[in-house]
Amino acid sequence: MLLLLLLLRFSGAGVRMKGGLRLVVLLMLSVESSSLSPPGKPVLLGCRSPEKETFTCWWKPGLDGGLPTVHRLYYEREHLEGTHECPDYRSAGSNSCFFDKNHTYIWVDYHVMVEASNALGNVPSDPLKFDVMEIVRPYAPENVTLMVEEKQESPYLHIRWKHPSNTVSRSGWITIKYQLRVKQENSNDWKNYTSGTQMGFSLYSIHPGVVYEVQVRCTLDHSSWSEWSNTTFVKIPNCEFQRPFAPFVALQLVVKIVKRFLLPPVPGPKIRGVDVQLLKSGKSEDVLGALIVNQNFPPMVARKDQMEEYLIVSDGGEWLLPAPLKSQKKKKSSFIPAGFHLDSQCKESTPSQVQENKDEMKSSSNLEQKQEFSGINFAAADLQKGASENFMQRLPNSGYVDIQRQENIVEVDGILVDYSRVKEVNGDNVFILQKENVPLSLDVQRREESMSEDYSRVKEVNGDNVVLLNPHMTGLSKIGVCTDLSSDGYVDTIPAPSLI
Amino acid sequence: MRQSARLQTILDLTAVDAAPLCTNAQAGCHVLSLANLFDRVIQHSARMHGISNDLHSEFELYFLPSKNQIGRVSRNCHTSSILTPNGKENAQRMAREELTEVILKLLVAWRDPLWHFHQSMAHHHDFNNFSSNKSLEMSDMVHELRKGVQKVVEKMQMLGIISNSVSNLASPEALLASDSAEWRLMKDYDLLYCFRRDSNKVQNYLKILKCRIVPEHGC
Repeated sequence: MLLLLLLLRFSGAGVRMKGGLRLVVLLMLSVESSSLSPPGKPVLLGCRSPEKETFTCWWKPGLDGGLPTVHRLYYEREHLEGTHECPDYRSAGSNSCFFDKNHTYIWVDYHVMVEASNALGNVPSDPLKFDVMEIVRPYAPENVTLMVEEKQESPYLHIRWKHPSNTVSRSGWITIKYQLRVKQENSNDWKNYTSGTQMGFSLYSIHPGVVYEVQVRCTLDHSSWSEWSNTTFVKIPNCEFQRPFAPFVALQLVVKIVKRFLLPPVPGPKIRGVDVQLLKSGKSEDVLGALIVNQNFPPMVARKDQMEEYLIVSDGGEWLLPAPLKSQKKKKSSFIPAGFHLDSQCKESTPSQVQENKDEMKSSSNLEQKQEFSGINFAAADLQKGASENFMQRLPNSGYVDIQRQENIVEVDGILVDYSRVKEVNGDNVFILQKENVPLSLDVQRREESMSEDYSRVKEVNGDNVVLLNPHMTGLSKIGVCTDLSSDGYVDTIPAPSLI
Repeated sequence: MRQSARLQTILDLTAVDAAPLCTNAQAGCHVLSLANLFDRVIQHSARMHGISNDLHSEFELYFLPSKNQIGRVSRNCHTSSILTPNGKENAQRMAREELTEVILKLLVAWRDPLWHFHQSMAHHHDFNNFSSNKSLEMSDMVHELRKGVQKVVEKMQMLGIISNSVSNLASPEALLASDSAEWRLMKDYDLLYCFRRDSNKVQNYLKILKCRIVPEHGC
């Protein structure tokens, strides 16, 4: 501004200036005086790939400086010469750049920036550098539907949804995993549940007459979570028999009296060989020692029908371990046998022996589902710190799956199976066996030789679930090893008690 | 008498390939076992990538390399010489044998670098034990995964799904050949970045391969 004024003055003072130049100077002065300026700096907001095949970047323009401003996106890419301009400014809306399949390369670095231009100058944004692998984030799942199912007086909520519309996952390129959360309408307490790759979920811990809100979200492999889907509401209908007939009431009363005073007490849920009190109050090591090393596991029978009736298992093959293994707030529910019939929500509190466990039971199999693996994780971590010396021993670093020790063999389904080397079952249901800490001086070559072929004993992998190990061929009867295990093959370890 | 009968059955078992015993539908059982093997290695690779991701994030926290440096992109991973498909279509179009070889080459190429990475981590006092264990686990996993993939390859070759042209990358000669010294020049952070990327590649290629070969088993 000052420079221009000086120029004019000098021109006035006799320094010869061309007429055109004077005009330009005057124009610039006038422009300046009405506060037009180069554009403000744009901000690259970020980029996102919803399906790992295309991606979009968005920016926010700065102040436009009073002149028509154009934004251009430029990028550089690993293994590509030169700087290139955005291939598509339209498809993803304003202030965006869409990279279609032909322009999207995974596992290479992109270096992206946006430049704002007007007549007075160009202003670049800060650049963004990323690999498409890092910016994957799917859209929310769709069509969340809720259905209240009535089953033997205890209603449960069946939740269903569809994968986000732009994803097609038949090729193995993406694996979508889901998570949902539920809360009662008037509370702020969301409860999260993991659904794995299933697109349905059943929730048993619902109260009649309450409105529930449900949201679902998903992730592609290791990507960030999508947004939560729109909230879906459902009201659980009230119980049908709230005002039963008087004679019916009387009958119930009689039954109650008979149950309470005349008949022997109903035994609580019990597992052979496990002390419920110990579970509730014992130290984790003792508990786990009792649970896992216990030789007296009753034979495991895959009982599809009953389990389908009482449990919805979002992934097959979950362990039902009690929640107390997880030192979180609350969880004190004791071990609930798979087939245990939940008390009807609609009845008044029954004076049965299970009264004390009722609250925990109400929160049903789903909490267990939620907590199982974390429960086991925690349990395994405890084990590692280790009290049980006969359990986690220094085993030769022989890799992945191998059953060599004879101790800690448990009879399962008539086949001896060795669990002693189970170290951890992480959230994705993978058994990871204990590895010995390799001494630093050990040469790589030697390690190679000492390792055995460890994939040979793998028997079956259930989708995302537990790896079922081939029992060690001890020469005992091997019953049809290639048996068709049910999808929830590992689930319960006790037979369902007869219903009362 | 009984003893010898038992011994006999054990010998029979060991003679048989690692496929589970089936009373009927022998061929079907082989295919089932291949799908299971695939699932196994895929899960393994997923876990391996998860660990590399964690370690990479931790490294970033500790050492804070500036992510958005101005300047040309120039990531030099020692595995850059291995030609890898950079997207879904390219991976699907690649021949099975070729894709399998790519997977094996990647895994072989990382065996030594990860082992040495773990060594240097163990001596880093900044890094806590947890991370050091992770780096060991990662190093073990790449080793185990390669053997697992080798088993998958053998199975596929046995079933005639792929030709025998997939070279035996477990042989000592192959290992020596892949042992270029380039990776020794890389900084730890770059090693982690490159491995995070390569482990993601391995995971994705394995999934693509599985869904091409045994698509009916959970794809």
